[in-house]
Amino acid sequence: MTGAERELIQHRELYSARSAAAVVAASLVVAASIYLLFEVVLKALGQEPWVRSPDEWWAWSAGLPSAAEPVVLALLGLATLGLGLYFLLAGLLPGRRRRRTIADPRAVVVVDDPVLAAALARRARTEAGVGPEQVLVHLYAKAVEVQLIPTSGIPANAEAVRAAVEQELERNRIEPRPDVQVRVAESGVVGQ
Amino acid sequence: MNQTPRGVNRTLLVLLGVLLCAAGGHLLLVSLGGSYALGWTRFASLAGGRFQSLLASTTLPGQPGSWLWIVAAVALVVLVLLMVWWMAVQGKGRTGTYAREYYDDGARGMVEIGAGVPEQAIRTALSERHDIVSVNVSVWDSPQGEAGLRIRVLPRQGAAPLRIAEDISALVVALDRALGRGGPVVIHLAAGARARMSRSDRVL
Repeated sequence: MTGAERELIQHRELYSARSAAAVVAASLVVAASIYLLFEVVLKALGQEPWVRSPDEWWAWSAGLPSAAEPVVLALLGLATLGLGLYFLLAGLLPGRRRRRTIADPRAVVVVDDPVLAAALARRARTEAGVGPEQVLVHLYAKAVEVQLIPTSGIPANAEAVRAAVEQELERNRIEPRPDVQVRVAESGVVGQ
Repeated sequence: MNQTPRGVNRTLLVLLGVLLCAAGGHLLLVSLGGSYALGWTRFASLAGGRFQSLLASTTLPGQPGSWLWIVAAVALVVLVLLMVWWMAVQGKGRTGTYAREYYDDGARGMVEIGAGVPEQAIRTALSERHDIVSVNVSVWDSPQGEAGLRIRVLPRQGAAPLRIAEDISALVVALDRALGRGGPVVIHLAAGARARMSRSDRVL
């Protein structure tokens, strides 16, 4: 794998291809085109239109504010605007997936965020000496947040947990490395 | 690793998005009435009249309508075909052949390695592991030549990602040596319902 090829594959793994939006968009265009095709062919053959012929549709839209119920028209406009915004944003936003890369000489390795979060949570709870339900790890794009509920009567060492989670990130060669924040809850719970 | 044309997806989505936003905004403004709606009615009836005279001038004698309708029908058929192509290329690139080579010295012929070979090899090698819930291997066409491998692994909850990744990477190197290939490889440590439901690995 050359460097450029690796970059390309990595990018394709980390960002969405927008396939779902593409299929929705294509289906919509196909449905609209097939209907229009039907009316156009009827018109070209000189037959009666099915719903309205294309020029009747145009005449209808020309007389619009009075030709239809304004409320229905406004709702239709809003729906169209919403759909358009969905496609526009799908096309423009980067669409980053909740994944990160691990450096490896042979392969492109990507880890889903929940998998990494579970590994970090396990490390944090062994460090703090608490049960699995007392640690919650949340991964953001550039930060890791560890929420720790200490066992009553046993103070939790936030700094030690932070260092352990950082070490775990380093050991797993997560690049780029996120910042780690540890939040210890005010009140503890009965431990297991 | 698939060959979804991402640039095409983005361009067409932006194009359709802008068109639909414009149409939606237009409908909203028209529904409010006022001077915009008046202006639109004036413009639309003017354009409609122009179009009718265009239709009249393109109607051949003895025909029921203008030949412009036939042109429009052909254009719509082309549009439908393009959209069907667009849908068909989403996620394209998966193949059933890992390697294929032609020999013409000695016994002439083709040697083909199916996608099942790397898949079964990796599956078998990983079947003993307790920190993996499931393995899925697929073979993909790569534009650079040699076929690519995509190895999707569901690690058990809390398993260390690097350990799994390194072991699979070593497996891939061994496989490269055995099969004489070295195409791109993606190892995906995925999260899934099956991994969440499974009991977590107790060995620390």
